[in-house]
Amino acid sequence: MMEKMIFGRFMPGDSFVHKLDPRSKLLFVFAFIIIVFLANNPVTYAALFVFTLLVIFVSRIKLYFLINGLKPVIILMAFTFLLHIFFTKEGELLYHWKFISIYEEGLKQGIFISIRFLVLVFMTSILTLTTSPISITDGLEVLLNPFKKLKLPVHELALMMSISLRFIPTLMDETDKIMKAQMARGSDLSTGPIKERVKAVVPLLVPLFVSAFKRAEDLATAMEVRGYRGGEGRTRYRQLKWDSKDTLAILLLVAMTALLITLRS
Amino acid sequence: MDKKKLLFLIEIAIFSAIGLILDQLSFKLWAQGGSISLVMVPIVLMAFRWGVSGGLITGFLIGLLQVAMGASIFTPIQGFIDYFIAFTVVGLAGVVRHLVFAASKQLNKKAMTLYIVLGTTLGGLLRYIAHTTAGIVFFGEYAGDQNVYLYSIIYNGTYMLPATILTAVVAVLLFTSAPRLLQQQN
Repeated sequence: MMEKMIFGRFMPGDSFVHKLDPRSKLLFVFAFIIIVFLANNPVTYAALFVFTLLVIFVSRIKLYFLINGLKPVIILMAFTFLLHIFFTKEGELLYHWKFISIYEEGLKQGIFISIRFLVLVFMTSILTLTTSPISITDGLEVLLNPFKKLKLPVHELALMMSISLRFIPTLMDETDKIMKAQMARGSDLSTGPIKERVKAVVPLLVPLFVSAFKRAEDLATAMEVRGYRGGEGRTRYRQLKWDSKDTLAILLLVAMTALLITLRS
Repeated sequence: MDKKKLLFLIEIAIFSAIGLILDQLSFKLWAQGGSISLVMVPIVLMAFRWGVSGGLITGFLIGLLQVAMGASIFTPIQGFIDYFIAFTVVGLAGVVRHLVFAASKQLNKKAMTLYIVLGTTLGGLLRYIAHTTAGIVFFGEYAGDQNVYLYSIIYNGTYMLPATILTAVVAVLLFTSAPRLLQQQN
């Protein structure tokens, strides 16, 4: 569980996709989420599927991790698939047994929707599997810059995100320690009636929160004495670099969009 | 930057991290899937401690962090509502802040309980509405011409109702026994 929390689902690597700038990856995935909805016939859905397989291949992610990311949504996917199978009553009757009848259009729509589901889950998974949460934060900060005009405190939000990500492992350790300490005192979080378990959460949260406030205070003092005064003119340790790979990735997506627009009915 | 504003930003950042940890921890504690989780407790705490703005920003940050760690986005609108709106609105629990404080000052635990439950329920209800709306968008896009409202209300209700009750109970136990958590340091 520790590792899962520290890096999100990030799997370090050195593939083409891993080396892309987080800005191009974010733009790519965001645009992809939109163009998926252009598909409306077998050819376009097939194109989307092949395109996604290509990206998976280039990212050299083990299929196991992608399938793993599918677990939380598999029920939802099966549910929407069955909805179409059983309730769309258009086209030719393909199969009939007692009260179950499956129509051609239902099967078609069910498959389309499942493909859409799969490519979206895979593509967003590839983003978080190949990009560390901290790089995503850096990328988001730059991409959200235009919203500064709308008074959205972009720099502050990015700073807060980095602080959160920095403190997740530390606080995780602390939570673990407090849990063990309370267990040693006979507190039982995982068995017994719900009422008792909920009550046992409080002695876990109070010390966790108190020490978190102490940490916040210390960090605020540390930042103050080092003269932190907000975003303007601040230099950064992690520099983002846009190169030809990133342009290529974006061009690829533009080409895919053009293809979908041409092939859709 | 003045110290109070800095402390505001940092406390929110750290409690958003705690929110994510509690969200994961819930798996371990009651194996119901992650959805019935304590993720709203830090949001409610920040909402009472710093007011509505503190709560809103904590919620927003938790949504952002979830996107950075891996989110389930099926349509642009559903993704936006599920991650940028749903957690943010929990922060509106802070509208009862002064009532909670007044009750706390008079050492009136009953009134305090009432207002904490009221605030938490408001936050939970708004999040439920947000997820339900996102669900309607999702099912509208994916389930064809079915009765998408019903699906979404039921599906999201199965975890939002228990999650809200859990958050309210924990918040009451926590803040009535340790009201100093709500007081800002000077």
